[in-house]
Amino acid sequence: MENKPVYPILAKFVFDNTGIFYGERDYYRLDSRIDKIMRELNLASEDVLIDHIKNGHDQSVKAKIIDICTNNETFFFRDQNPFNALKEDILPEFIDQKRVSELNIWSCACSSGQEPLSILMTIFEKYPNQRIKLDATDISKTILEKAKSGIYNSLEAQRGLPIQSLIKYFEQVENNCWRAKGELLNRISYGEFNLFSNNYPLEKYHVIFCRNVLIYQNMENKNKILDKLYRALVPGGYLIMGAGESLIGSTIELEQKSVAGTMVFKKKDDQSKAAA
Amino acid sequence: MKILIVDDSNAIAMVVSGYIKELGFEAYHALNGKDAVDMISQDDVFDLILLDWNMPVMDGLAFLEFNQANNLTKCPIMMMTTENKPEKIMKALELGAIEYIMKPFSKEILESKIQTLKQAAA
Repeated sequence: MENKPVYPILAKFVFDNTGIFYGERDYYRLDSRIDKIMRELNLASEDVLIDHIKNGHDQSVKAKIIDICTNNETFFFRDQNPFNALKEDILPEFIDQKRVSELNIWSCACSSGQEPLSILMTIFEKYPNQRIKLDATDISKTILEKAKSGIYNSLEAQRGLPIQSLIKYFEQVENNCWRAKGELLNRISYGEFNLFSNNYPLEKYHVIFCRNVLIYQNMENKNKILDKLYRALVPGGYLIMGAGESLIGSTIELEQKSVAGTMVFKKKDDQSKAAA
Repeated sequence: MKILIVDDSNAIAMVVSGYIKELGFEAYHALNGKDAVDMISQDDVFDLILLDWNMPVMDGLAFLEFNQANNLTKCPIMMMTTENKPEKIMKALELGAIEYIMKPFSKEILESKIQTLKQAAA
């Protein structure tokens, strides 16, 4: 592989701003992103890109580079099992057993919004009257704008979404697109959030979805983020990570539970803490 | 898994059968609803029917009505059509289709819908 001068400079810039780690072996993954940056910012050469990163003062250019270098791959009900775990185990625990009147949920890397919408559809199918506060955040401002619009083209709308859910929760808009109905969109608070550098609320959330995010972090940053996510969970709260992600190397005390074909991670509740 | 594509376009049938074979399933082709009725009446071996809407001789809706009236087959039916209005989608679902793919679509959309139906049937 060609060793381009832009690789280490872009990798360091992305790491410093997002914690996302591109080691030398991952540099090839930057190629398509460099192409996209050059195209979208209309840059004449990679030297110009290096100059922007090192000396540029235009924050919008830097934001665009971060946008392009963060992974936005998503679709409705991605991996399915976490949503089954939510429906079959986690929601009944909070709603039927603990009688929580209002559930606080955080989709912390929500990308273009399919994950928070999938969470809400899952809840509504079982508990249509449950009060919910759903925070959906992402590092990328551009992708959040799309999430807020709730509009998906036909291909996006069909990826993972059963037709009955499309008909029930979406309305057709122009250009063969579909928009999530207000009953979903109005329940979601969207906002920018950098998991690496922003301040986390303490003991707020019953469930946090943090999927396919930590996989891009090095061990040190992964542990820092996990520690902050842990503290953002209420006692007894659940952390849901991506398929194949684990707590290996982390010191936080989350109980690993196998539910509906997937692993979820539970913070000790007050009673079990007291008993320990 | 044996999948019957009901579509008057040979080109579409070729593309979709290519996807189906890549997924490890067997593909069959009927040119319209009547052709599909004949094939199923002769040998009802299919695990899934992918049904276009607009076809000559017998269109997709007429096929669904025929199937409902005559108990032709219990095989799951997924529409695969350019018709994308909510009222049309609901009409097809009322007449027994259990999934719906709007053209154009990608291989991964077809795969995820087939896999979901397969898991539900298991």
